[in-house]
Amino acid sequence: MRYRACLGTFLCISSLFLGDRALCDGKKTVRIKAAGIQVAMIQSDEIAVPAEFRVALYENLIRQLEKRGFQHVYRDGDRKAAGVPNVVVLHSTVRRFKAGNEMARQVTTVAGATSINIHCQFTNAEGQPLLEQDVTGNVRFFGGNLRVTYDFAKKASRIAYEKFSTRD
Amino acid sequence: MTIRAKKLLRVGTVFFAVVATSGVNAQQSPTAVKAVQLTGLPSVKDNAKGNLTVENGYLHFLSGKTTSEVKATSIEDVVTGTDSQKAVGKTIGTLSMAAPYGGGRFVSLFRKKIDTLTVEYRNAEGALHGVIFTMPLGTADAIKKELIAQGAHTTVAPEQIGSAQASPSTSLKEQKQ
Repeated sequence: MRYRACLGTFLCISSLFLGDRALCDGKKTVRIKAAGIQVAMIQSDEIAVPAEFRVALYENLIRQLEKRGFQHVYRDGDRKAAGVPNVVVLHSTVRRFKAGNEMARQVTTVAGATSINIHCQFTNAEGQPLLEQDVTGNVRFFGGNLRVTYDFAKKASRIAYEKFSTRD
Repeated sequence: MTIRAKKLLRVGTVFFAVVATSGVNAQQSPTAVKAVQLTGLPSVKDNAKGNLTVENGYLHFLSGKTTSEVKATSIEDVVTGTDSQKAVGKTIGTLSMAAPYGGGRFVSLFRKKIDTLTVEYRNAEGALHGVIFTMPLGTADAIKKELIAQGAHTTVAPEQIGSAQASPSTSLKEQKQ
């Protein structure tokens, strides 16, 4: 009797899991096809961000997009991108920047976090927006302040990978 | 007496000539600065150590057998800043965290100031590249001045450097509390 009750419970739980998974599969997003992705230089008009941070954000973003498997990643102003149809352009604008303190991080382990909030806008070549999202990069424990740029780049490239596909 | 005066005059002339020529030579020879390329140069690994020079209208970075150069006139912006670095180095700094009785955290307090030089340039296709160098304190300004003299552009003029560094880059400075 007890065995039957256990079996019943097990079957109920497993059917719940399977049903949930089936629902998730149904929600699977369709990736927008793009011939390539072009990264515009990071803008920081409203907030003063040190030049090395802007450059590190830009360079890390390009590197992470290439690592994600995007076949054609174009830099800001690259003339090669002009002739390619269906290119997605990634515009990034710094909305919030809090410079932390590496020493405080190591000494206290709770204070001194560096964080950066960047508004990412994916547009087509004509400038029409395709996707907009805020991405936050943090460095809390290990690493220098510039590591925040790596964290941002990884998150932004993941969003790009989930929404866009440059493979044929 | 006159012979002695002539001798003195000759020695003085020779001395002056030597000093003058050494000064000219010092101006002509490019100053090599030991630097670390954090990121950005296409053919150079991240965190590569090397020598940075400005010569014949190019910024050269020599790391081991690899040489990378950027044309000064293609540079759209060159900015210097001051940051700080753990004097003990990255790996030891991280390992020292595990030291007993919180010793690693004490070791973490020892840092030295460094200069940063950030360069933004466009390649032949017009693609924008950014490079970040770190170097000993007080050497970045000299490199920047040489680059500007050879055709590089900047958004922060050398005379504004003092005030510009006081605003955004000071946020990067490690504050010893």
